Amino acid sequence: MLGARERESDEELLSRARAGDPEAFRVIFDREAPGVRRFLGDLLRDDAAADEGTQETFVRVHQRLGTLSESGKLQGWLFGIARMVFLEQIRRKRRDAVPPEPPEESLATDAGPSPEAALLSAESDQMLDGALAGLSEERRSALLMRIDHGLGYGEIASAMGWSLQKVKNEIHRARLQLRTHLAGYLEEGAR
Amino acid sequence: MTHVPIEDMESIAAGERPGQSPVEIATHIAQCAECARELAWLRAEKALMARRPSPPTDHLWPAIAARLRHPRRRPHWAVRVSLAAGAAAAAAAVLVAVFRPGRPPVPAQPPQREQQAARPVRPRAAIDPKTLAALDRAEEDYRNAAKVLEGEYERLRPQLDPDLARRWDETLTRARAQLGESRAVAADDVNVRMRVLDGYAGYLRSLRYVVQESEEANP
Repeated sequence: MLGARERESDEELLSRARAGDPEAFRVIFDREAPGVRRFLGDLLRDDAAADEGTQETFVRVHQRLGTLSESGKLQGWLFGIARMVFLEQIRRKRRDAVPPEPPEESLATDAGPSPEAALLSAESDQMLDGALAGLSEERRSALLMRIDHGLGYGEIASAMGWSLQKVKNEIHRARLQLRTHLAGYLEEGAR
Repeated sequence: MTHVPIEDMESIAAGERPGQSPVEIATHIAQCAECARELAWLRAEKALMARRPSPPTDHLWPAIAARLRHPRRRPHWAVRVSLAAGAAAAAAAVLVAVFRPGRPPVPAQPPQREQQAARPVRPRAAIDPKTLAALDRAEEDYRNAAKVLEGEYERLRPQLDPDLARRWDETLTRARAQLGESRAVAADDVNVRMRVLDGYAGYLRSLRYVVQESEEANP
């Protein structure tokens, strides 16, 4: 059975949070933080930086609660802020003298005999990481918002600052790139 | 029927009801290899995403709650630096506006002291004393801003990782040396003086970065 916290709608929670109710904001955090943390982890590929980025995102969300006009768009708005935090972290990293580590290619070559089984094998997370790392930051952000976090195309357009058509084009291209990478893996696994 | 729209395909892959008639879509997919392949990929995508674990986030809340209770104030050095650097940047911008249009740029002279000593000093066109005064003021503002940041870095430095502090020291020392050399050969050449101001702006950016990182390392 769902508790009162789980049943409350985004609208009700936002209304209470805007009125200064800390418990309401905590519920928003509990609901949305895992998605934001995973999104930032996928973009930053660094656990400590993703933790820090998640904290920064929610502090900014709290500061800007009053600026969100349509509460139905909470998730898109939140991911838009998370992406801004990510971009700032990247800029800071680039200013540092130490060059970032190149993304690791961790595709396994000894997977089981069936491509389907290979796709859902224990290495699938690594395989997916490798495939996502091959995408540009923008495409990766848009694709993940769609396929991992279930945002609508309109919400993604708003979060990315793109037209609806551009969102559809970029997600389509990102999917093709992802599939090329995954298909290579499946072929290796099937050999 | 044309191919199934991607939104409908995504709904089917997610186990939701598509916008168009499900029967019509199912009939099309049964006959269209391209749509069937697309749906298979979308389902595989969905399955891959669903397998990913949710990262723990409870441990992140205490720091957020603390920041909401006690928001960070802008550090005092940031205010002082902004004022000084802002004034210097504004002065430099005015100088750019005054000097760039209609005046051919003076070719950059490599700072080779031996050659300069051997050659006779090239006569320069007379420069408006007000311009020189503005350059001096802008440079002074940058120097003041740098002093604030250098002081702040000195305060934070003992708590830093020694290797990191040593690397930052080297970088800053190198930047200061380059600035000093440029300034020494600039004399009253406006173009070179402008480049010196650019150098100060870059030095300030480096210092600001170092101080911010030091503060974050020692909250």
